[in-house]
Amino acid sequence: MSQPAMINRYRWYELVGIYAGIFVFLTFILAPFVEGFLVSLKPLALLFSSPYRFWPENGSFEAYRTMWVSVPGFARYIFNSFFISTIVTAVVLVLVVPSAYAFARFTFRGSGALLAAFLAVNMFSGAVLLIPLFRLMRSFGVLNTYFAMIVPGVAFLIPSAIWLLRTYMMRIPRELDEAAFVDGASHFYTLRRVILPIAMPGITVVAITTFIGSYAQQFIFALTFNSKSEYMPLPIGLYAYFGRQEVVWNELMAASFVGIAPAVVLIFLMQRYLVAGLTAGAVKQ
Amino acid sequence: MGQLKLNKVQKFYGTFEVLKSVELEVRNGEFVVFVGPSGCGKSTLLRMIAGLDETTAGDIVIDGKRVNDLPPVKRGIAMVFQSYALYPHMTVFENIAFPLRVEKMPEEKLKAKVEHAARILHLDQRLQQKPGMLSGGQRQRVAIGRAIVREPKIFLFDEPLSNLDAALRADMRIELAKLHRQLKATMIYVTHDQVEAMTMADRIVVLNAGEIAQTGAPLELYHKPANMFVAGFIGHPKMNFLPVTCTGASDAGVEFDYRGETALVPVVPRGGMVGRTLTLGVRPEHIQLGAADLTLTVTPSVIERLGAHTVAYASLGGEGENYCAMLPGNIAIRADQQVKTGIRAADCHLFDENGVAFERRVEMSDIDMSLFDPAVA
Repeated sequence: MSQPAMINRYRWYELVGIYAGIFVFLTFILAPFVEGFLVSLKPLALLFSSPYRFWPENGSFEAYRTMWVSVPGFARYIFNSFFISTIVTAVVLVLVVPSAYAFARFTFRGSGALLAAFLAVNMFSGAVLLIPLFRLMRSFGVLNTYFAMIVPGVAFLIPSAIWLLRTYMMRIPRELDEAAFVDGASHFYTLRRVILPIAMPGITVVAITTFIGSYAQQFIFALTFNSKSEYMPLPIGLYAYFGRQEVVWNELMAASFVGIAPAVVLIFLMQRYLVAGLTAGAVKQ
Repeated sequence: MGQLKLNKVQKFYGTFEVLKSVELEVRNGEFVVFVGPSGCGKSTLLRMIAGLDETTAGDIVIDGKRVNDLPPVKRGIAMVFQSYALYPHMTVFENIAFPLRVEKMPEEKLKAKVEHAARILHLDQRLQQKPGMLSGGQRQRVAIGRAIVREPKIFLFDEPLSNLDAALRADMRIELAKLHRQLKATMIYVTHDQVEAMTMADRIVVLNAGEIAQTGAPLELYHKPANMFVAGFIGHPKMNFLPVTCTGASDAGVEFDYRGETALVPVVPRGGMVGRTLTLGVRPEHIQLGAADLTLTVTPSVIERLGAHTVAYASLGGEGENYCAMLPGNIAIRADQQVKTGIRAADCHLFDENGVAFERRVEMSDIDMSLFDPAVA
């Protein structure tokens, strides 16, 4: 058995403290998910029984079937969410990769100010700008389209993506650019053949965070800029389970889990590009 | 062909003058080494020749054509970086092929060229591996391979061996020297290591604070340093400098007095020197035990035994007047025990108040002239 390095060795009470801390945090983070999942297994009537039972009696996956029946458009909402987030991610990547390269490599007048401005934009939440954005969308006549939900999403996700990727690209040794330049490569050739492949892990991180960010922020844009139910993304679609009299909690929970499943699968698949040490052997460090 | 001419080349960073009017001519096929302490501008000068850094003033001329405003690839140069700068996601083959891919060379021709370069550098077995799997020396050879396939007029090396360990560095030094003979190409090599400079160069350019301190063949710099900087920089351990008073000058040389000891150094005299303070330069390897033209009694404080040599360090009392002697390996001396050391006047160097050397009357029959001038060889 290999011993951990000296710096990673702890006394027993330190280990107990560490694991206790991890347990407390994980409980807070995971409890809602566990509770949500258990709720999705219970029949609706049992949810309001008193005393409340945490573990479902005669639990079943019935809600996972009935949810499709009570809200027939739900598959479309999942598709919409997925579609909007995918387009947002694609557009962000196309715009951010060259600009992050430029910010990382070239010194030009105003680059510092621009980066600061990007940070400042991030400090405004989308909510503050909703009304101006709404007026803008209305005058362009793009309300109630995918476009209205995609463009603001892209705009608000670009700054953090640039910051993330710029930091990553700055870690790629500059000599690689210089070597390529000496060998006659243009900036675009260097970006495509040298920088892009090496920056793949960074680009993957940016893609994942952008995708998640877009998934999360759809709600507010969809709520304001869209009233057509066929364009509704998942977070708005979940409102369909809020009936006039009652909320169909078990189906709502089931729908939430089904709704995020495609995104989870996608992110899981993308993780395999997050390989560390891609620059091994490039330069002597 | 690969001729290079630097005509009053200057470089400013803002108002800071990094290079002060550098003049240099490099002949076709010559191996020229730029050497100097860190910050002397040697790497900057190389990057300016490469076209990576801009030239503030002056002309860089390659084969009769002014190249100041041309990108590196149009200058006909190839550069090997200190940090190798290999593309980590590409195989060795693709790394070497990179410049040829840029110029869109047909696959068959490209393959032949890469394989030829790989054979020269003994990389044929490694072509499908990635740089991460190679040792330091192999990585540096890949970087050299990438330079070779371009068939440049001039190779530029920026401290290519400084990241290797000592044993590998010695091997690569020999391989580079062989490669130079094999390719017969012009090579310009930057290093701060005087051993690399002395062993590989046809001609050494010593740079100090943005100026060329001296240009010459390795042995010329050793035997006839033009100033105190070059004298102190070339040779290891460093040359001893002693303050002496000039007592006379004649055709035979310059006479001096050091703490009551007098001697005559055979150098070309200059007028008006009598009474002035000059600096006597003595290489540690020219000091022997026992009396000679100039005899100094010293008490060594530290003795270093290196096997082949014994290095003794002593203080002569005055400020900065340290005295170092390189003696035979098995010599019987001890720290803190007085010894008498002697110096032959013919071995001495003499510098004026500005650090400029008096020309030594070195017996040229001792040194093959062809070693001084590669054009003769």
